Amino acid sequence: MSASLAPECNEVKERYDTCFLKWYSETYLKQKATTDECAPLFKQYEKCLSMALKTRGIDKMISEARDDNRENDAEHMRPKR
Amino acid sequence: MVKFYSSTDTYPYPFPAVTLAYFLRYPNPYSTHVLSTDTIARHYDPDTQRLTTVRLHLKRSKLPSAVLKLLPKSLLGASASGDTQAYILEKSVVDIKEGWMDTESRNLEWTGVLSVVERQEFRRPVTQAEEELKMWQGMEGAARRHGFINFGSGAKVEDTGETTEVKSTVTLHSHVGERWKQRRAASQAAGDEEQPQKVGFFKSLTTGPLQSSIESIGLKRARRSQPNAKEGMKVVLERMREGGLVAVLEGMRKDRELVLAGGKSLKADGHDVE
Repeated sequence: MSASLAPECNEVKERYDTCFLKWYSETYLKQKATTDECAPLFKQYEKCLSMALKTRGIDKMISEARDDNRENDAEHMRPKR
Repeated sequence: MVKFYSSTDTYPYPFPAVTLAYFLRYPNPYSTHVLSTDTIARHYDPDTQRLTTVRLHLKRSKLPSAVLKLLPKSLLGASASGDTQAYILEKSVVDIKEGWMDTESRNLEWTGVLSVVERQEFRRPVTQAEEELKMWQGMEGAARRHGFINFGSGAKVEDTGETTEVKSTVTLHSHVGERWKQRRAASQAAGDEEQPQKVGFFKSLTTGPLQSSIESIGLKRARRSQPNAKEGMKVVLERMREGGLVAVLEGMRKDRELVLAGGKSLKADGHDVE
């Protein structure tokens, strides 16, 4: 598994990534998904990570970039057929 | 001014496997400059069966020396040697029902000097039979297929002879000098005909050629790194075919040790990997 930006989040990230890979390959790709089963684990991971992003001052950079992208997304993130 | 690079390719693997490899592509032997990958947002829409993911990658990077020569020291600040780490924000949407995945990656810093946006469109090819079915049954029924990846016992990608098409584009845009130009335009519009005294670095240059040079250097770099990105995906897909998810994860573990050791990436063309 890939490493987290924040070493203190590695453990919870690994737990989430493992859950996601299982859900993605065994449920989502087989078109059997009804909910994101790993959402609770993601919340834990997110909690750890958002702290780390804040301490490093990256959170603002990300939210600015994501705001800039909203219009782009509408244009590019859509099916072409 | 904008520069643009585009290429198309076909992976000899089924669409679901390619989407999985995309999520698992770091670390791989061609990407030991990628230090970390975090998922910062993920949303599954049960109605459309679309999965949206936002990830943050941290890459070890070096500004090309050609760019360093073009830029004033004051603009470079602390990283005057060009050694830097670069955050990359990646967004992807997978639609397993319709058989497409769209991705977009962009740099978070240095966007004033050069903003690089890389987009990829993965498509499950539409077969003749599907086209005909579509006419009679509508898209939904025709697009429905199996997952093709069995992680239960063997956990291997079945060799179904299926392929996935990918179109990659890289858009490069330099904004160097634009702020100064805007300021001048603003002061002129305000009736202030006097030229600003401190035009500094850009005094002797019109910004157009400078932007263009920086974009050209970025373009050259994008062309050089594209083959490595593809090789990285192929390594992950081969591991998946050979030994399933277990083999991919084992490979990642070894590649991660390489990253920690600060090891050099494999290179497809003998140049630095970016």
